[in-house]
Parts: sequence; structure tokens; C-alpha cells
Amino acid sequence: MIGDILTILRDNWLLLLVGQYPNGPLGGFAATLLLSALSIALAFPLSVLIALARLSRNPLLLWPSTVLVYVARGVPLLMLILWVYFMVPLLIGAAVPGFVTMLVTLVLYEGAFLSEVVRGGIVALGRGQMEAARALGQSYPQALLYIILPQALYNVIPSLISQFVSTIKETTLGYVINVPELTFAANQINNQLLTKPFQVFFLLAIIYYAVCWTLTFLAVRLERRIARRRAGPAAAPAPLTVRQLTAEP
Amino acid sequence: MTSDAEMIPDVKIAETSNAGTAMIRFENVTKYYGAYKALDDVTAEVGRGEVVVVCGPSGSGKSTLIRTVNRLEEIASGTLTFDGESVHGPLKAAALNRLRSRIGFVFQSFNLFPHLSALDNVILSPIKVNGAKREVAKARAMALLDRVGLSAKAGAYPAQLSGGQQQRVAIARALAMEPPAMLFDEPTSALDPEMVGEVLAVMRSLAADGMTMMCVTHEMGFAREVADRIWFMDAGRILETAPPDAFFSNPQHPRAKKFLSDLRH
Ligand SMILES: Nc1ncnc2c1ncn2[C@@H]1O[C@H](COP(=O)(O)OP(=O)(O)OP(=O)(O)O)[C@@H](O)[C@H]1O
Ligand SMILES: [Mg+2]
Repeated sequence: MIGDILTILRDNWLLLLVGQYPNGPLGGFAATLLLSALSIALAFPLSVLIALARLSRNPLLLWPSTVLVYVARGVPLLMLILWVYFMVPLLIGAAVPGFVTMLVTLVLYEGAFLSEVVRGGIVALGRGQMEAARALGQSYPQALLYIILPQALYNVIPSLISQFVSTIKETTLGYVINVPELTFAANQINNQLLTKPFQVFFLLAIIYYAVCWTLTFLAVRLERRIARRRAGPAAAPAPLTVRQLTAEP
Repeated sequence: MTSDAEMIPDVKIAETSNAGTAMIRFENVTKYYGAYKALDDVTAEVGRGEVVVVCGPSGSGKSTLIRTVNRLEEIASGTLTFDGESVHGPLKAAALNRLRSRIGFVFQSFNLFPHLSALDNVILSPIKVNGAKREVAKARAMALLDRVGLSAKAGAYPAQLSGGQQQRVAIARALAMEPPAMLFDEPTSALDPEMVGEVLAVMRSLAADGMTMMCVTHEMGFAREVADRIWFMDAGRILETAPPDAFFSNPQHPRAKKFLSDLRH
């Protein structure tokens, strides 16, 4: 079995790593990493904006953001992907590459979920911090930037990371709209070999696990470093750690 | 601690332009929480350099009153001026921020920024709000921390400080904006009894320097010793204003009498 896996890896490593690239689109592990990294990098700032909009009293900000969050919560991701995949080309009258479809959908979906984490972090601070900042003459944006967000985001690092890890795992759904990412490559290999599905998908699981574990590991280090810099138990209500929340069973 | 705080040179109290008028002036100020009238037609003023202690039973509106001064609470009607400027008028956001930066506010729960060291708590707003140079802000912050007896704790984070120390940093943080007046909302109520003295000592020395102060407090010893006037509140109204001697020895209003006799028992 281990032997089989190593053989599969030896024969197909390039396909697993980059898909058909450079003869075709970038695929495989590289596409998965790129899709994950871009999704997280775009969804995270978006989530902060959504969270702030959800905390705003301005209906023009409050309503759209609330609708987005409720839709993301109430609709399966796969359905959302199919929707965007079939509807957006009709609406704009042009073909949209699967990678872009997947990226946009993931950013909106994860942005909505992350925003609830961020909003929770902000609300949990209570109003004393905002009041203290404003009483010193800080503007609302200044208070957010210097006082509220540094604390709120730090306090929710464990939940953020577990949501980031979900994002990586959700890139596998790109498979259904033929985004040539890692799962897609593994399935191609399986279709060629036909007789070794267990080995192929076991290898796939190991790769995903390694990526998600690495992210979690880096997050733990980051969290410790901030905690050390704050020298002591300062703002970290720390019984929950990243590892406890995100370690795979 | 007391001696520490008093040996340090004076704070600079900002010069203001509207010297003829009261520092804080309430005129027929009324405020509701929903249908509940929390402030009922309050008219009173805090003069320049005056120390006013606001007292009264729980729920009488003391916090509400003091929080309207820097507009942490909105009012329904009436006018409120700080240093001649209307606080609740149609102010632009920037104007309100500037006004707030000139009103020192000390909270019962300290509200230090836990992710910043004591020093950074003090220098943040002078730098970001007033555009002070970092070095200048730092030198001034160190002098203020020294004044409250905490120069040795400049690098400590709030979680590493006792309640009394946190509150003294909070006072230094407010003073760093060089406000012409300071507001205190029960600054010692969240403290263990042995730490009350160190905070009151700082407040006493501020008063001695001529700072205009409005303090909500249950520390009647402090009120008697430091206040120029006592405002007694009940049910959203100021029922009596009097110098401390008169107030404590001969309260006029029946509810003030009852309040004081309840305090003594
Ligand atoms: N945000 C709020 N919403 C509704 N009611 C409020 C709110 N804040 C205060 N109140 C009510 O307004 C009244 C005055 O409250 P306030 O906090 O000003 O009293 P206080 O004199 O400071 O009392 P304490 O000595 O307990 O601090 C109370 O009856 C209180 O229940
Ligand atoms: Mg109060």
C-alpha cells in the first residue's frame, strides 16, 4: 500500500503539483494553494468590512451586508457555486473561467462567515474600549484601527484560523465545475489507474492534511509570538488555543 | 504613593479662550432612555478651576449627567456648553472629536487599552489625534506617569498592573491631551479599598493645581476636603448645590438629608 502510493506519487507528481501546466491551465496542488491563498487574502479584509457594515446604523450598509450573511449561512456552498457558474455568464454575456467563479464564490461565502467571527470579536470587547478611545478625541476610524480591531482580531485568531482551514478544504468543490485543482488532478489519476482508488485518495487526504496542519501550526506560532510580545496574560483570554479548535480528529 | 504624586511638578492646565464663561454649563438639559426620563431639566454650571462633586443615590442619573458633557450620551433638549462651545449642537464629526479631546474623562472601569503598554496608552492619542511628535509625546507621558507615581511601570501592560495603578495610568492618559477640565465617573468604585487612597491622592493634587473637575464619587471624605461645591442628584434632577461644609452639616432637601443619614449608617 505505501509502495503503491509512492509509485503513484513518482509517476504523477508533476500532474499533482501543477496540473497540465505549462501546456494547459495551472492546476493540481499549485492551483489549490493559489485558490486558497487568494480566497483567504481577499475574504479576510472583506469580512472586516462586512462586520463593520453589520455593526453600522446606516441602512445602506446594514441591509446588504445582513442579506449577504444570511444567504451564505442558509445556502449550501455547492449550490452557490453552481449558481454563480451558470448564472453569471448569462448575466454578463461572457464566459467566466472556473477558477475565477470559484474564487469569487469562495471570497463572498467565506467573507460572510468570517465576518460573523470578526463581528463577534468586536462585540465581545464591550463598549468601554470604544468609549475610551472616542473620549480621548479619536475618530471612529482611528478607534477601530488602533483600539478595536487589534484586540478583536487577536482574540478571534483561533476561529479565524479554523475558518481559513475550511476555506482550503472548500476549494475541493471546484472539482464540480472543472477547476483543475488538486482533487481534480487526483481524480484524473484515479481514472487512469482504475484499480487503486483507495491509494489515490489516501494520498490526496495526506496532502490536504499537511497543508491545513501547516497553516494551523503557523497560526499557533503567531499567536504565541503576540502573546509573548504583550508580555503576560494581557488581552488574551487564552483557555482556547488554535490547536484545540482546529486540530483534525 | 501619596507623597510621590505630590512631589512632582504641576501639570500644565490648558489656557482657554473663553475665560469669562463657565467651563461646563447645563441649561434645561433633559434626557430620556426610551420613555424613562434620566435627566430632568438640569441647569447648573461648573466654573473655571472649580471642583464639583456629584453625589446621589444609585440610579439618580449621575453617570448619565457626566457622560452628556463629552456627548457619550445624547440629550433630548436643553443646551450644554463646554468652554463656551455647544457640545450637542449640529457639530461636524471632526469638531466633536476636537471638543472631546479637550475633555478628560476617567471611567469607573479604567478602560485602559489592554493591548498597549502603559506608556503607549498615554502617548497614542496625543500622537494620532493631536499630531504630536513621538519623542515629545513620550517625554510628556513619562512626566505624567511620574506624576501619578508610575514611571517605573511605563512598559507594563494593563493586565500586569493593580486596579489602582491602572486607574492612575488612565488619569495620566487623559491628562496627556492637556484638557482644561477633567471628568471622573466613580473612579474608585471598582477598586479594592487599599487602592482608593492612591487614586484620590492624584485627584487631590490635580485639584490643588487648579484643574476644573467634575467628579461622581461616593468618597464623602474626598468631597468634603476637595470639592468647592456638591451637587446632590435624585431622579434625574439636581436637588441641591452647596459648598461641602453646608451640605454635610446642614442639607436642605429632605432627600439629601435621607441620603446622608443612610450613608452614615
Ligand atoms: N443605556 C441605558 N438604557 C436605559 N436606561 C438606562 C441606561 N443607562 C442608565 N439607565 C437608567 O437611567 C437611570 C440613571 O442611570 P445612571 O447610570 O446615570 O445612574 P447613576 O446615578 O450613575 O447610578 P450609579 O450610582 O448606580 O452609577 C437609571 O435608572 C438607569 O437604570
Ligand atoms: Mg453611575
